[in-house]
Amino acid sequence: MFKAILVAIHEVRIYLQDKGDLAFSLLLPVVTFALMYGAFGGEMEFHGTAHIVNQDPGGSYSVRLLEQLEEMDSVDLELLSREEADGKLERSDLLMVIYIPEDFSAKLVSGEQTQLLFRQRGNGGQEGQIVASLVRGLAERMNQEFTVLSQASSSLAGREISRERIEIATQKFLEREQEHPLVGVTEETMGSSPDLVNQFLPGVVTMFVLFAITLGAQAIVQERRLGTLERLLTTRLSVGQLFFGKFLAGISRGFLQTLILLGLSYIVLQLFTPLAFIECLVIALVFAAAASALGLIIASIARTEDQATWIAVFLTMSMVMTGGTFFEISEGSVLYTISRVSLNTYANDAFKTIIAQGGSLTDVGMELGVLAGVAVVGLTISRVLFKVMPGGR
Amino acid sequence: MPEEYLVAQELHKSFNEQKAVDGVSFTIYRGEIFGLLGPNGAGKTTAIRMMSTVLEPDRGDVIIGGHSVRREADAVRSQIGVCPQELALYEDLSALDNLVFFGRMAGMSGKEARAQAMARLELMGLSERAKGKVDKFSGGMKRRVNLAVGLMGHPEMLFLDEPTVGVDPQSRNNIYETIEGLRDGGMTILYTTHYMEEADRLCDRVAIMDGGKIIALDTPYELRSQIGEPERVTLEDVFLKLTGRSLRD
Ligand SMILES: Nc1ncnc2c1ncn2[C@@H]1O[C@H](COP(=O)(O)OP(=O)(O)O)[C@@H](O)[C@H]1O
Ligand SMILES: [Mg+2]
Repeated sequence: MFKAILVAIHEVRIYLQDKGDLAFSLLLPVVTFALMYGAFGGEMEFHGTAHIVNQDPGGSYSVRLLEQLEEMDSVDLELLSREEADGKLERSDLLMVIYIPEDFSAKLVSGEQTQLLFRQRGNGGQEGQIVASLVRGLAERMNQEFTVLSQASSSLAGREISRERIEIATQKFLEREQEHPLVGVTEETMGSSPDLVNQFLPGVVTMFVLFAITLGAQAIVQERRLGTLERLLTTRLSVGQLFFGKFLAGISRGFLQTLILLGLSYIVLQLFTPLAFIECLVIALVFAAAASALGLIIASIARTEDQATWIAVFLTMSMVMTGGTFFEISEGSVLYTISRVSLNTYANDAFKTIIAQGGSLTDVGMELGVLAGVAVVGLTISRVLFKVMPGGR
Repeated sequence: MPEEYLVAQELHKSFNEQKAVDGVSFTIYRGEIFGLLGPNGAGKTTAIRMMSTVLEPDRGDVIIGGHSVRREADAVRSQIGVCPQELALYEDLSALDNLVFFGRMAGMSGKEARAQAMARLELMGLSERAKGKVDKFSGGMKRRVNLAVGLMGHPEMLFLDEPTVGVDPQSRNNIYETIEGLRDGGMTILYTTHYMEEADRLCDRVAIMDGGKIIALDTPYELRSQIGEPERVTLEDVFLKLTGRSLRD
């Protein structure tokens, strides 16, 4: 055990010697984090485009509706002709278009009902839904104005007040009401807890841990190339100790990168409670152990560094793809069954439970068990493989 | 009667049906430099790998200090030091770190290993470059470090596989002197080479190997005497006489 630790320290030391490698592997998580932060972290306000077909271009009410939409910071306005809009909807270029009918203003002036038409593909998409609800809000306000106006007009009926003055007074009243509403809303942001980072972070973390496979896969071939493997075999270091040392080194390297990534998320994004942070580190550690063991299996069968790298990259990529790292896999599907053999599935589930759902380590016992099992079994298998491979012992 | 230290018994090893070592037997006495001399491909390295527990013999066994390489490999490993033909060093680490690491693998404490490493580097004339990275060293310096690593942990027996190949004269003389010093200190040494003059100068006894077999074994003087005036002929002539071929091909 003690010798194994010496081997691990030695390995990490060599790793630290190579400044270029080191800078790269430490910088990579930082850059990934920056990209993630840039993409999802900063501006988390909604911003969308309202696609509108105005078939009542001259109407006073349609103009007002568009003006009000334009005033909203979070919405850009794009006007389309009817044909354009229909075509784009047909081709799924657009998911939601709002149609203002020809008689919109005319009907409203005469006090009749009118309908805005929301045409959508499927559910209209997330953006479409939000834009639609914003437009609904505006329509609501118009309704309110009409109600107030008609109430004011009817209660003032018979007096010598022009309709125009009533309208202006009501308008002013409504505006004041809007500026100082009775029920106000104050927004307060707790850190910045962007959902998208929540969704993505587990995937990115698992990907980084998987690099441990590639590094671990090099462990034995590199020594073979240097000639140091044979030399080590003539010392009192046992093969078991050698493998366990490489295993520990793999864990520490995989864990180091994860630590940076999670640490930045903790400090900058304030994604976690301190407890959740620690829990994530525990998962990362167990996951790194499993990845390191898989790396050693490759290491014990690969004959050259290229071979080791390619096998490891292939394995890593397939696990990332099938492990639900970047997209949800629905239960019961074929992919779901396949995903059960990917380490990522378990690590990802575990991270998601902690990060996105606020769970605790007790909720991820099964996942941790699987990962720890893979670590132990993988280490054993790699040792056995090394024995049976030509030149092994 | 000198004490038998290493006994090789009927060693056989084939690679893909091709015999690399074909029934080799010899005895090395404690405290001598034993030379394994032969052209490239004679089977010297394969023999050393079997003796140093890296490679399992197809047949036969080697007893070192009373322990079998087959059955008591760990006991054998604690007695031997190996200096392989190819450099076996961590190029990214300093010479000192290389020595200390292998010293620790040989079971020394950190303190012991550092002290011995410095002493070995001193012996090899490398103490000024102790902290220098190995990949910045010249070929000869790397060879000296390679040899120094094999000496870590006070082995009783040292295997040296062509330690002077591609080495500048200065490094070569340093290596010769070191080896003679070690022998005088009581170490048993197996030395392989394909340079005849080297074997002649350095070795107490020499086994000439060709095609996986030992074709002659004696002191260099006796070997030379067998084919003529010992002062006038060389081991080169001995090899030519025995095989009909020149060693240099
Ligand atoms: N690992 C190996 N695989 C296949 N053939 C080998 C291997 N090692 C050595 N040989 C062959 O065995 C023979 C002896 O090689 P070696 O022991 O290296 O000779 P020497 O050290 O005397 O030059 C050569 O023909 C060589 O090609
Ligand atoms: Mg050789």
